[in-house]
Parts: sequence; structure tokens; C-alpha cells
Amino acid sequence: MNANILLGLSPLLIVAVGALVLMVVEALSRFRDERLESPSASLAVSSSVVLFASAIAAAGVWFYGPENLPEVSSLAPWLLLDRFSLFFFVILTLGGALSCLLAGGYLPEHKLDRGEFYPLLLLSTVGAMTLAAAGDMLTIFLGLEAMSLGVYTMVAFRRGSPRSIEAALKYFLLGSFAAALLLYGGALLYGATGHTDLSGIGSQLANTGLRLVKSDSEVPSDMLLIAYDNAVPLVMVGLVLILVGLAFKVSAVPFHMWTPDAYEGAPTPATTYMAVVVKAAAFALMLRVLLIAFADAKTASWGTGWPPVVAGLAVATMTVANVIAVRQESVKRMLAYSSIAHAGTLLIAVVAATKATQQAEASMIYYLLAYTVSTAGAFGTLILCGSRGAEAVSYEDLAGLGRRHPAIAFAFSLFLLSLAGVPPLAGFFGKFYLFRVAIDNGFTMLAVLGLLNSVIAAYYYLRVLVVMYMKEPEPGAPIAVPMRSGYVAAALLISAVLVVLLGLLPNGTLEAAILAAG
Amino acid sequence: MNSALGSLIDLWPALVAGAFGAFVPKRPSWWERAGVGLIAALLAMFVMWMWPGAEQQQVAGEWPHLLNVLIGLPLIGSFFILFMPRQSPRVLRGLTLGILLVDLLASLWLLQVPMSTGWHFVYVHEWIPAFGIRYHVAVDGISLWLVLLTTFITPIAAYVTFGSIKTRIKDLCFSFLFLQAAMIGAFVALDLFLFYVFWELMLIPMYLMIGVWGSQDRIKAALKFFLYTMAGSVLMLAAMLYLVYTYSQLTGEVSFSLLALNKVLLPQQAQLLCFWAFAIAFFIKVPMFPVHTWLPDAHVQAPTGGSIILAAILLKMGTYAYLRFAMGLFPWAAGTQAANLAGVAVLGGIIYGALCSWKQDDFKRLVAYSSVAHLGYVMLGLFANTHTSTQGALLQMVNHGVSTGALFLLVGVIYDRRHTREISEFGGLAKVMPVYAAVFLVVTMASVGVPGTNGFVGEFMVIMGTYTSPYLGKFHWVDAAVAAFGVILAAVYMLSVVQKVFFGPLKNPKNAHLPDLNVREGIALVPLVIMIFVIGLFPSVFLSRSSQSVSDFHTRNRLVWNESQAANPEPRLLTNDILAGSLSGSSRDELMKRLEALDGQEPGRKPDDKGSKDETLAIQEESK
Repeated sequence: MNANILLGLSPLLIVAVGALVLMVVEALSRFRDERLESPSASLAVSSSVVLFASAIAAAGVWFYGPENLPEVSSLAPWLLLDRFSLFFFVILTLGGALSCLLAGGYLPEHKLDRGEFYPLLLLSTVGAMTLAAAGDMLTIFLGLEAMSLGVYTMVAFRRGSPRSIEAALKYFLLGSFAAALLLYGGALLYGATGHTDLSGIGSQLANTGLRLVKSDSEVPSDMLLIAYDNAVPLVMVGLVLILVGLAFKVSAVPFHMWTPDAYEGAPTPATTYMAVVVKAAAFALMLRVLLIAFADAKTASWGTGWPPVVAGLAVATMTVANVIAVRQESVKRMLAYSSIAHAGTLLIAVVAATKATQQAEASMIYYLLAYTVSTAGAFGTLILCGSRGAEAVSYEDLAGLGRRHPAIAFAFSLFLLSLAGVPPLAGFFGKFYLFRVAIDNGFTMLAVLGLLNSVIAAYYYLRVLVVMYMKEPEPGAPIAVPMRSGYVAAALLISAVLVVLLGLLPNGTLEAAILAAG
Repeated sequence: MNSALGSLIDLWPALVAGAFGAFVPKRPSWWERAGVGLIAALLAMFVMWMWPGAEQQQVAGEWPHLLNVLIGLPLIGSFFILFMPRQSPRVLRGLTLGILLVDLLASLWLLQVPMSTGWHFVYVHEWIPAFGIRYHVAVDGISLWLVLLTTFITPIAAYVTFGSIKTRIKDLCFSFLFLQAAMIGAFVALDLFLFYVFWELMLIPMYLMIGVWGSQDRIKAALKFFLYTMAGSVLMLAAMLYLVYTYSQLTGEVSFSLLALNKVLLPQQAQLLCFWAFAIAFFIKVPMFPVHTWLPDAHVQAPTGGSIILAAILLKMGTYAYLRFAMGLFPWAAGTQAANLAGVAVLGGIIYGALCSWKQDDFKRLVAYSSVAHLGYVMLGLFANTHTSTQGALLQMVNHGVSTGALFLLVGVIYDRRHTREISEFGGLAKVMPVYAAVFLVVTMASVGVPGTNGFVGEFMVIMGTYTSPYLGKFHWVDAAVAAFGVILAAVYMLSVVQKVFFGPLKNPKNAHLPDLNVREGIALVPLVIMIFVIGLFPSVFLSRSSQSVSDFHTRNRLVWNESQAANPEPRLLTNDILAGSLSGSSRDELMKRLEALDGQEPGRKPDDKGSKDETLAIQEESK
């Protein structure tokens, strides 16, 4: 074991070790005074510090240069510690840290203050980071399960609430189903190609005699090729199974049914975590799998491969999610559908990645970063709007907030406008870059559909602004009383600064994203 | 010592931010103040570190930061307002008006420089170099008057609004200042990305203004306004991206600069598609028939100040952007579509707008539909695309801003007194409110276009230019004749409403004791009425400044039109630098020779010599 490997792995290790230490600390400490010594009071900051430390470590490795650490290549193909992974580490830890801070305010306020939330979140983040760096079906499955199991528990964290349990059960069943599909697909691909690592599968599909269309003119001369020809159906089925598994994980329509229920039933910090970290990790996985394993000329071509399927998923996801989101009465559920819609937009870039991999990946990374800070901020403000027994859920709960609590309403507007893609905020620049890549590569129709969808999306985001600024609560209606929490305020401050900076001064981050994708 | 001092001076934004953070918030202890100040200073330093370097070319006599000040002052002011206590509305109102007035004074500086060929008060700063996006602002004779119109109208609108709206003053002040910054920014932006940013930024404060301070159906109207505009602008964004992509394919570098993209000559089919994507966005904003339906709702529901700004400035955003971007970038497509679009402008805008206006019972709706009609003239002038008509359209934009702004203000006056806008509720008001009636009559005359007022000059030039236009096919004289008929219709609907409201017996007892104009309303109206006569009697003051830019625009437009006539299956660059950039003295003469050679190839009649003759005639006539 070389020190350089440790350095390369430090972002992962910091979170893993930190999680274990915090778990022990939490188990051994006694909390006497509820106000000062609750689990959240001691764990929220320390876990977010662990996650930020991991982000800093990732940034350190980035600036040192992963190419200067040749030893980490010995971890390939299980873990690929390239700039792509490092950038994703930053996104994932940032999302995780924001969720931790939100939990620090939310859990005590809603009497859910049990310490295991934070180690669960940290361990789940380790899974997500493994997933983002994984280059082998084995580590993919490990990362996926490590990430998901933590999240299932976090969703069920409100033990007394039937909705929370229902959400967790739904998520658990469908999540396991998706994992099983992915695993099955991986097994079939292994049978067809003899590889579990993605690059091996990719090169086998591209270079050897494996033909997706059987041609009579080329009579295979050795047994191996005959075997591969027979393997064509296996590859096809494997690809379809993997695509479906991935679509479940990124919650693309029509595999999105679990998302709204799970998002709505979960405690809001867990929802934030799912919407931000799990989604980002799933997209990292999708990019790796589709662009390494299935990137050969035939599988990744519009005529014979997966791109039209993904394009169809993208259009269906955006349109269906946006149209349903318009009809929602609960803000949390609306945000759930909006996160599905954003997944649809991201799928456009996956399609564009078949033509210009670097640009498309960079645009997805930027979009995910912008989406992470905006979504975490939006859920965070929703948390801040409600207090014990008066959680802000429906639109009506927010009525008159702009007059009663102008700062909160301003922050909420900022995050929603960023999600809606109003310049000059982060969300706009993410969209702008993504659609630019799509148009540059000839997917103009997809881009136009995406842009038109963003108009529908603007409608439901604006509805929140309407309620906050233009309506007053009905006389006698319950009013959401905002809670006070330094943790949530800190998370919102970080998100707000990033939302503005990523929109106004995107250049540095943009160059980093392009470097990460290259 | 010197270098240390120099680096300190270089860090002034951080120092200012630090001092601001330390002293402004109410913090109990000094260390908390120091902490906040430190955070603010570090943040400012971080921004300075992230900010890419500048490249600057300065022209003598033009302070390059003038436009930055015009945009930045209200923008910074709006954020400053956010941190002020809402309990002191007087301070908030005073500060807002002060900033707007300083902006107005600063904008007068723009008049110091003769608007010769090319761009003035240019300021360029790298913004996102990886995408070739720059902060690039400048004015020419076309945008000059619109910037001045903005700085002129907004203080009036704010001043009037402060008289009638007493709730949520802080939010109102924020909206006005933010809106002002975004509007000026959109008029002077020469980078397409920057323009899009400002274009979208305008939406939010206007949306709040309609939605928060409007009347009963305000929420629906506000959403309609936002979604209509956004639906148009996303298509524009797609076309913009396509254009930039084509440019990058041709040159190997990415740029969003209008001056760079001007060089791209798209094949006809692509040009048409892109033109429509741009044009629809702008037509919605103008608004042109049949996408005008958001306008009456928005106007009726908006508070008086909102209506004034909406009519006077935001609608001009559509016409200005059509001229600058849709016609500027796609001259061929704009030219081929002009004949049909002119028909829409005449029938759907001028005639339909006037007829709708005639049948309205609601005072504000009537003025709103009259806007549709007036903007029909502006669009007709732009479609006709001769020197005279474009000049007329530009003047008519300013005219409409002044006279319709005044009309909305006047409607607001009686709405404040009676809280109804039903025309049938009134009658015989001239007896109780003589000054009001007199001012209303003057503004009505301006709106109808009676000689001597501003409306006449603009409409006359538009109709004249339309008559000589080569772009309108065989129907140029029909368009001109019907547009002239529209002037009569305008007189019909405006004068009939004046007759109904101000003359006849005073039937409604509620109107018997209405107070006349108060001082605030008087102060707001005086500059508008003065402008009506200034433009009406001395139009050459205005036309002379825009003339050079308009003729340069036309020269370029005609040359590119000629280049596009030949079928070109592939996009290509217009290699001749004259086409792309501004025209300097000698190359201009050369260009004029080429233009003369091209004259025979134009469709329809020869526009140039006749058009300019018409224009000089028109100006001479008006100056008398």
C-alpha cells in the first residue's frame, strides 16, 4: 500500500472513517440537556465538517493532479479516480453536507432527533462516491447498495408516521427491484463478453467479432466468434435491463412512480439527500455505463442503439413530470416532480454525449452542481418555513410569507427562480450550457422541447412566488410559523452564495467541469 | 510604500464591502461586526479573483463607464433598498426617486456626443471567456432615445405610484429600481447572452408589480404576462444557440457578440427558422396580433405606475429588439416576410386594435388596445424598412411612450378618485375637473396624431415610408392607405371617449365633487405634456441623432439582403468587414457606389433617392 493511493482515496476514506468515528461517538455519548446536547447539536456540524473536509481533499487531489498519482491506477477498473470522479466527489459531498446541516435544524424541531441519521447519511455518501468512481459491475453494485440501504433507512426515519413507512417501503421494494435488474443485466453482459469491468465490456463490444446484426457473408472462423454471435441477444437483453435499472435510479418516466411518494413521505432532509446526492450519483453511473461500456459505433448510434430510447425517456420524463407538477397542491410533491423533470433535461445531455462526450459530460456536471445547490436551497427554505406541528407543505401554508418573513421568501424565490432557469442564476447557466451542447450536436428538436418544458416548469415555480407575495392567508387558516435554526440558515447561505456565483461568474467552474469531463 | 498603497487601492471593492458589512447591519458586539465585515471583504476578494481580466478601448470624450453607471446605479440601489428598514417609507421613496433622478441626469450625458457612425460609450469586459460571452454595452442612434425614454419615464411612473400605493413600499421601490436597471441593460446590450439575461430579468419585477399591487384578477394577469414572454424567449434562446454554433463552425471561435454574429449568413431555410424564433419572442412583447392577448389583461390589472412602464418602455423592448436583432441578424428573412407581416400589422394591429378600443367599456382596456394600434404603426414602419419609415418608427416608439404613458397616468387619476374605470360611470367631468379635462384633451390629441403634437410626426413618417417601401410588394400603397385610415379610427375612439367622459350633462352624482389634479399629479404630467409639444414641433432634434445609425443599418441591411438573394446551401461568413462592423469614412463611399450598382436588383421600386427626399420633405414640413 502506497501513500499516494491513500492520498488518492482520501476523499472516500475521510467520509468512511468520519462516519465510523461519529457513530462510535454518538453511541457512547449521553445527552442530558436536550437543548444543548442533542445528537443533532453535536453531530450535524461534525458530519458536515467531515463532508466538507472530503470535498477539500478531493479539491486537493484535483489540484495536485490525479495524473501525478500513477499508483491509483492500480485500483482500476474497480475505482477510477480521475478528474470526473473528483468533481463528482465535490458535488456529492456538498449535497451531503447541505443535507446534514438541514437535518441539524429539522430533526430536533420535529422531535426526530436520533443520532443515527448522520452516520447513515455519511455511509450512504460513501456509497454514492463509490458509485461515481466505479468502473466495474462489482463496485457499481456495492456502491449502489451501500448508498441505497442508508437512504431507505433515512426515508423511514419518522417511525411513527405511516406515510414515512409507506414511502420507505415503496422506495425499498422498487429500489431493490432496480438493483436486481441492474445486476441481472450485468450478469448477462458478463456471460456475453466475459468481462465485468465497463471498459472491458466496451472494448469487447467494439473490437471483437460481436455483431449486433448477424451477417451471413462473414462466416466466423473460430469458436469464440460463434459464441459471440450467439451472445447478441444476451447483450441486447443486458443493455435493456441495465437501461431500465438506471432509469429507475434517475427516476425517469415511466419508472418514476416511486419518486413523488418517497420524496413526500421522507423527512425533508432525507428528501433533499435523495433529490441531490442519489440523483447525482445515479447520473454519474449512467454516464460511466453508457459511455464506457456501450459506446461503440453501433450501440451508441442513433439508428441501432440506445440513444433514441434515452431521448424518448428524456422527452417523456420532462413532459409528464412538468405537467403533473403543475397540478400538485403540496409544495414538497411539486419539488419532487420538478426533480424528475430536471432528470429528463439531463437525459438530453446523455443523448448528446454520443456525439460530443466531453462537452456533454461537462454540461451535465455543471447542471448537476447548479441543480444541487438550488434544490438543496429550495428544500432548505421549505424546512425553514415550517415549525413543529406546522410543517409547510401545501401552497396555502406559504401565503403571505413575503410580507411576514421577507428574507425567507426572498431566499425561496432565489432558489426557485434558479430552478426555473431565470438568468443570471446558476440554474439558468446550467440549462444554457446543456441546451447549447444539444444544439451544437444537432439535437435541436430535443433542445426546443426541453426549452418549451422549462416554460411549463416556470408556471409551477412561479405559483410559489404568487402565494408568497400576492396572497394573504385565509382568515382562520393555519399559518406556517418559520422555525429558527442556525444550521438551516448556514446551509441556505452557502447555497444562495453558490447559486448566485455559479450563475454570475461561471467561468472558473466551467473550465473545471470541462477538464473533469475530458 | 507606493506599491503597498497601490495594491490597497486595487482592493477597494473588498474594503468597501468590508466596511459595508461591518457598519450597516445592526450587530450588538464589535466582534460580530468584524466577523461580518471580514466575510464580506473575503467574498468581494473572491469575486475579484474569479472575475476575468478586462480589455478596454477608450474613445476620447466618451466616458466608458457611463452605461455601467446607468445600469449599475439602480441595480445597486435596489439591493441597498432590501437592507433598509421597511418602517420608514419616506426614506425609501426618497432614495428611490433620488436614484432615478440621478440616473436621468447621468443619461443626459449621452446627448453630449454626436451619434456618428458606429457605437458610442462602448464598454467591453470579458465575462465568461470559455463561451466567448462578454459584458458588452454601447449605444448608437437607435438605442439612444430608448435609453433616454427609460430614464425619463421611470421616475415619473415611480413618483405617481408613490402617490397612490401605500402598501409594501419597500418591495415597490426594489421593483422599480431593478426594473430600471434591467430595461436600460436590455437596450444597450450588444452581446446576445447579456441581452437575454436582461430581457429575462425585466420579467420578475414587472411580474411582481402586476401581481402584488394590481386589481382583482392580478394573479392571472401576472402569470399570463410572464408565461407568454417566457414562451417566446426560450425559442429565441434556441435560435441564438444555433446561430452561435454556426458561427463557431465557421470561424472556430465562440462568440455571442452581436457584431460577430452579424457576419454569419445563414442559408435561406435556416435564416427563416431563426428569424421566426426571434421574431415570435419580440412580437409577443410588442404585442402583435394574434399574440397580443396578454396585454389588455396585464394593463388592466397593473397599478398605474406598472401600466405606464409596461406601455411606455417594455413594449418598446419588443420593437427595438425586432429592429436590432431579428432584422439585424436575418435581413433576408425579415425582408421576405415583411409584406405579410405588414398586412398583419395593419389589419391586426392598427385596424383591429382601433376597433377593439372603440368598443371597450373599461377605460384602461381602451388605452391598452390603443397601444396595440399604435404599435401597429411602429411595426409597420419597421417592416417597410425604408429610411423614413424606420426613423418614423423610432420616433413613434418615443411618442407612444410619452403619450400613452400620460394617458395611463390620467386614467389612474380618476381611478384613484372613483375606484372604477367604467366609462359609463362618468360624464360631464369637464365641469368639475377643468384642468384635468384640458390635459386629457391635449394628450388625446397627441395620441390621435393631430399636427403640432408628437403623434403626427411619427405616424406621418411611417405612412410615408410605407408608401415608398420596396419590401412590401404590390401592397405598399394599400398598407399606407389603410394605415392612414387607422388615424381616423384613432380619432373616432379617442374623441368619442373624451366626449362621453368630459362633456354632456353631469349625470352621476358621485362625480359632482371630484377634486381636480393635485400637485403630485400635476408635477408628473408637466414633463410629459412638454415632451409632446417638443417632439411635435422640433422633431429634427430627435431625428438628426438617429439618422446616421438608421442609414448605416439600412446600408448593411440592403447589402446582406442582396448577398442572401443567391441560393446558398451552406452557411458562410460575410467576408467584407464593412458588412459586419461599423462604417468608416472612405469605405462608406465605396459602399455607396456598390449600393448604387445594386439598385436595379431590388424588388419593387427604387427606394433610396426617393425615400431620402421624402424624409427631408417630411422633416422640413414638421419643423415648420
